[in-house]
Amino acid sequence: MDDRLILLCEDSTDGMFTAVYDGWTFQLHGKEVEIRSTDEYEPELFCSFRRIETDPEKAEKVVSSVRKKLGIRVYEDICYVAASSRAVDKGTVIFRLLWKALRSRPYRRDIMEELTDPWVIRALKIRIQVWHEFHRMLGFVRFRELSGEILYSEITPDNDILALLGPHFENRFPNENWMICDKKRKKVLVHPRQKTSYLYYPVSRAEKNASDLAQPEEYEELWKVFCRQITIHERKNPGLQGQMLPLKYRVNMTEFTETVQP
Amino acid sequence: MIYQENMTIEEKLSILADAAKYDVACTSSGVNRNGDGTGIGNSMASGICHSFSGDGRCISLLKILYTNECVFDCKYCVNRRSNDVVRASFTPEEVCRLTIQFYRRNYIEGLFLSSGVKGSPDATMEALCETVRLLRQKYHFQGYIHLKAIPGASPELIEQAGCLADRMSVNMELPTAEGLKRLAPHKSRQTILRPMKQIQLRREENKNELVLYRHAPRFVPAGQSTQMIIGAAGESDFQIVSMAEALYKGYSLKRVFYSAFVPVNEDKELPSLPGGPPLLREHRLYQADWLLRFYGFQASELLSEKRPNFNLLLDPKCDWALGHLEHFPVEINQADFYSLVRVPGIGDKSARRIVQARRHHSLDFPDLKKIGVVLKRALYFITCSGKMMYHTRLEEDYILRGLMDGKMPKSRQEEITYRQMSLFEDGFLQKGGTANG
Repeated sequence: MDDRLILLCEDSTDGMFTAVYDGWTFQLHGKEVEIRSTDEYEPELFCSFRRIETDPEKAEKVVSSVRKKLGIRVYEDICYVAASSRAVDKGTVIFRLLWKALRSRPYRRDIMEELTDPWVIRALKIRIQVWHEFHRMLGFVRFRELSGEILYSEITPDNDILALLGPHFENRFPNENWMICDKKRKKVLVHPRQKTSYLYYPVSRAEKNASDLAQPEEYEELWKVFCRQITIHERKNPGLQGQMLPLKYRVNMTEFTETVQP
Repeated sequence: MIYQENMTIEEKLSILADAAKYDVACTSSGVNRNGDGTGIGNSMASGICHSFSGDGRCISLLKILYTNECVFDCKYCVNRRSNDVVRASFTPEEVCRLTIQFYRRNYIEGLFLSSGVKGSPDATMEALCETVRLLRQKYHFQGYIHLKAIPGASPELIEQAGCLADRMSVNMELPTAEGLKRLAPHKSRQTILRPMKQIQLRREENKNELVLYRHAPRFVPAGQSTQMIIGAAGESDFQIVSMAEALYKGYSLKRVFYSAFVPVNEDKELPSLPGGPPLLREHRLYQADWLLRFYGFQASELLSEKRPNFNLLLDPKCDWALGHLEHFPVEINQADFYSLVRVPGIGDKSARRIVQARRHHSLDFPDLKKIGVVLKRALYFITCSGKMMYHTRLEEDYILRGLMDGKMPKSRQEEITYRQMSLFEDGFLQKGGTANG
């Protein structure tokens, strides 16, 4: 019988953690478990496959166990890894990390510091990629005001960082109604004034709201003026600007969109 | 001066943002503060960049002057009294509205408010305080505020401002007292250093208060910074770096910013810069600044009276290392943190990773690569368990050549053993002789 077992799960934190939960038993029975998300499913030889249905209850068990036994820092690191969209091996990385950390006695709360372990190095690499985009996004999100004092933003990030943005903006704008829409993944983060934010899936309703821009957007024009005036022309350096603020982010940013003349 | 009645907010913003652009301090870092849920805003110690302007500098704060009317006549400044430019002033309410509306749309991290001196330093400082007070108290703004202290303003106003702002700064402008007198006749060392000292002492006092009462109001929690103009008064790098060191040590400054001089005025006192602003020099100064703050270097180690300027071709750390080969090679598995960060190519992060990783087992060169240490420059200066990476020699010329062409030495055969002869070297040139006879 093949020893490599590939678990196919939904590409979400819950999906990953369910696969970790189910994979644990298989690994205990001597299988070499790998986890892939279903989207990247590519049949391989000399291994068996198994589909994992996402089960929030199982996922929750893994989450609480990680938080309790390995600490909140490790849990956060793993969430960043799980949000990656480029790392095909992220599920396996998470599984290997947890396997190593939770099978040791005492539990390895310092697992992320073991810089000579190849899985840890890989995890840190993925984490930093995602964190980098997350941190950029904290600055690059642009809200537009809809009628009824609703702030609306559209983003198209490479990684699935929408949920990670929640706490920051919640803390920053507690008294605003705001929405951030991930156009790529078709989901919206909604924050009603004075409440906690939640994810909302069918974006059509949010998009319908979005067409209702408050007019006139005086401050968008003022912001463009500001960005133009703050540039020192003797120091012009579009290369550096492009490095710090890649073109892919500019499509959603107010200061880089042309004013549409009515 | 040209005054214009009834300006729109757009015209004002256009003039007063343009006038503020030469102020380089645009960081929003140094203080962690959560919103309390009643107002708007918070602050992150790491700072957040919201956009980048065409010159590649980050836009983090709404950087504006309160007014560009000024009674001072600083030679290098576009807003000096004797210049014929359009003048404008905001009202406190206008500044608040702009800040809040920009902030809500996540354009900015906070406000950077500076000003020309309108009337007297006290009157100007008063207006700045009033603006910021309105923003904090009426609009419940909890984001970042960076406020300029106007040289010559009274200590009471500085005290008020410090309780409202996160960061304050007084611009040093020029590193020598003589240069300051010549180019900024209305400012003096004393009017600049007095508020700086006041803020420093008050911050120390505030730290003690916070130990006793956790909720005591915080005074300039993100510290103070300053800025120096580079290349306007003929000062040397050594003077600049020494001044920066003195400020870090004597005034506990968080940052010293360097701003390559951009000639905006024609003046016989000012240099003309046909090659554009001295950007590379500015870059070297920032590198040296980091060496002072994070790498445990002293200004006197980097430069001296005899060698007053940085080598523009090499970064200051490489330059230092080549002059001090007796400290090398450094053994990766044993050297302490401070010896590690002195190796060219190994920074704070790499050094920390090395120290952390070697706890588990001893490191060799592939391990270093894996944990992300860049060996391009470091390989000439380090050993792993007593071995160097390649057969490199610890000689100044040899390493310099390797660093400049940026290729890795592969084997002994490929090594360059010859050396370009120069007519101007010692021994070739007779005493008293000249190159063209």
